[in-house]
Amino acid sequence: MINLRGVNKKYKNTFALKNVNLDIQKGEFVFLVGSSGAGKSTLMKLLYREELPTSGNVYISGVDVSKLPDNKVPYLRRNMGIIFQDYKLLEKQTIYDNVAFVIRALGVSSREVDNRVKSALKIVNLGHKMKSKPNELSGGEQQRVGIARAIVNGPSLLIADEPTGNLDPQTSLEIMEILDKINSRGITVLISTHDHAMVNHFRKRVITLEGGQVVKDVQAGTYG
Amino acid sequence: MANPENTRPKISITQYRIALRVLIETFKGMKQAGIVNIFIIGTMAAILMIFGAIFRTSLSLGTIVSELGNVLEISVYLKQNADPNEAAAEIRQMPHVRRVQIIAKENSWDDMKRQMNLPSIKNPLPDALHVRVDDQNYIKQVANNLESQKYVSDLRYAQDIAEKIRIVSDISHTATVIILAVVGFLTMFIINNTIQLVIQSRKKEIEIMRLMGVSNWFIRLPYILQGSLYGIMATIIAIIPLSFLQGYILQVHQFLGLPNSEDSYWAMIFVLFSMSIIFGALGSLLSIKNKLKT
Repeated sequence: MINLRGVNKKYKNTFALKNVNLDIQKGEFVFLVGSSGAGKSTLMKLLYREELPTSGNVYISGVDVSKLPDNKVPYLRRNMGIIFQDYKLLEKQTIYDNVAFVIRALGVSSREVDNRVKSALKIVNLGHKMKSKPNELSGGEQQRVGIARAIVNGPSLLIADEPTGNLDPQTSLEIMEILDKINSRGITVLISTHDHAMVNHFRKRVITLEGGQVVKDVQAGTYG
Repeated sequence: MANPENTRPKISITQYRIALRVLIETFKGMKQAGIVNIFIIGTMAAILMIFGAIFRTSLSLGTIVSELGNVLEISVYLKQNADPNEAAAEIRQMPHVRRVQIIAKENSWDDMKRQMNLPSIKNPLPDALHVRVDDQNYIKQVANNLESQKYVSDLRYAQDIAEKIRIVSDISHTATVIILAVVGFLTMFIINNTIQLVIQSRKKEIEIMRLMGVSNWFIRLPYILQGSLYGIMATIIAIIPLSFLQGYILQVHQFLGLPNSEDSYWAMIFVLFSMSIIFGALGSLLSIKNKLKT
C-alpha cells in the first residue's frame, strides 16, 4: 500500500527526513511516533503530495506520487482520507454540509451524497448532530466530523496527523477506537502521534522516527 | 464504502452535476462579497460607459470620414467678375473632370432666402460650379488644378472636410486603444483585488477542497465565473446610457445623410461584453492561480 524508498527531505540546510525506507501493507493500522520535529508531519505530507521528497520515491498503491503530474494529484487524494489535528472544519456550515461539500464537488448525486454522509456520520456516532454547527460541538465531536469527512469518499487509506493532539485522554481513546473500527473495515490507517498512552493501549505496529530517520519499527509495539 | 473510482468524472450526468455545483459556488462567492459587489459593478460600469462612448463616437467618425471620402464633387466658387460659362467650358477640358454643373448665384440666393427666411438684401453669393471627377483618387489633383485658376475665388470638397475629420477620428481611434488598455487594466485590477478578498475569506474551504482531492479547475472556475459575471452585469448597466448616445448619433447620421449606424452599435455592445468578460475572467484567474498550489 505504502512504500518509501530512500526518501530524503531537506529544508534549506536541515534534513527533515533522512534515507527513510518503509513498507505498510494494505489493511494495516500503524502508529508513526516521535518527538516534535522528528519528521512525522513531513512524512505524512509526502504521502498526500503536499510536499515532494528531495530525493527517493514514495509509492502509494504502486504509484510513485513524487513523480505524479500535478493534474493527477486530486485523483490520488480522492483515494485517501486525511484527518488533521485542528479538524479544519467550516464554521459557518452544518456538520452535514462539512462532510458533504467535498463529495458534492466531485459530482456525486444528491441521493448518494445523502446516503454517504449519513453513513459516515453514523460510523462516528454523530448521526444525531447533522444540523449542528462545529462551534456547538466539543473538540472530540469536531474531530469525529473530521473523520467522517475523511471516510465519506470511501478511501482505501486514512492518514491522521496528530488526530488527538488537542484532545483529553478519554476523548482521544474514543477517537482511536473509531479509527480502529474503520481499520477493521479493511482501510489502511496511518496515525502520527506522540501520545504514549494511546500507542501503548492499542498495541499496533509502531514506527519510531528520530531526527528524520526510522529508528524502530515494531509490530504490536509500544512507545516511550 | 463507495468505490472511489466512481467519483472520477466519467459520465455526462456527473459533469452536469459538477457544472451545477460550480454555479452554486459562484453565487455563494458573490453572496459573500455582499455590498462589495455593488461597488465593483458600479465602478466597472462607469469605466465601460466611458470606453463605450469613445469607442462608439470613434466608429461614427470613421463612417463620416469614409462617406465624405467617397463624394466625388468639388464646389468651386467663382470671382464676382468671372463668367461661369467660360469657366465651366475651360474646366471641362481638364483631365479627370467628368461633369461640370453651373449653379447661378441667383438660384443659390433664392434657395437660401427660401430656406432661411432672409430679408430682401443684395445677393452676396458668387456663381458656383459643381465639378464631378471620374475617380476619387484624383479629386485632390483636380482641386489643386482648379485652385490655380484666376477665376476661382474659393473651393470646397468633401475630402478636404474628410481630412479634417480624419484627424479627429485618428485621435479618437488612438484614444480608444489607449482607453481599451486602461479599461482592461482597471477591470483586471478591480476584479483581481475583489477575488483576492473572497479567496482570503474562503481560504480554509479552498485548502480543505484541495486536500480532499477536488480538482484545481473546480476550485478556480467559480472565481473565474464570478469575475466574468461582474463584467456582464457592468456591461448591461453601461449599455443603458450608451443607448441614449446611440439615439443622438442616429440623429446626427440622419442629418448628415449618412447610412444607418445600427451595426456600429451592436459592434460596440459586442466589444464591451467580450472585453469585460475576458478581462474579468483574467483578473480572477490571476488572483486564484497564485493561491493554488497542487
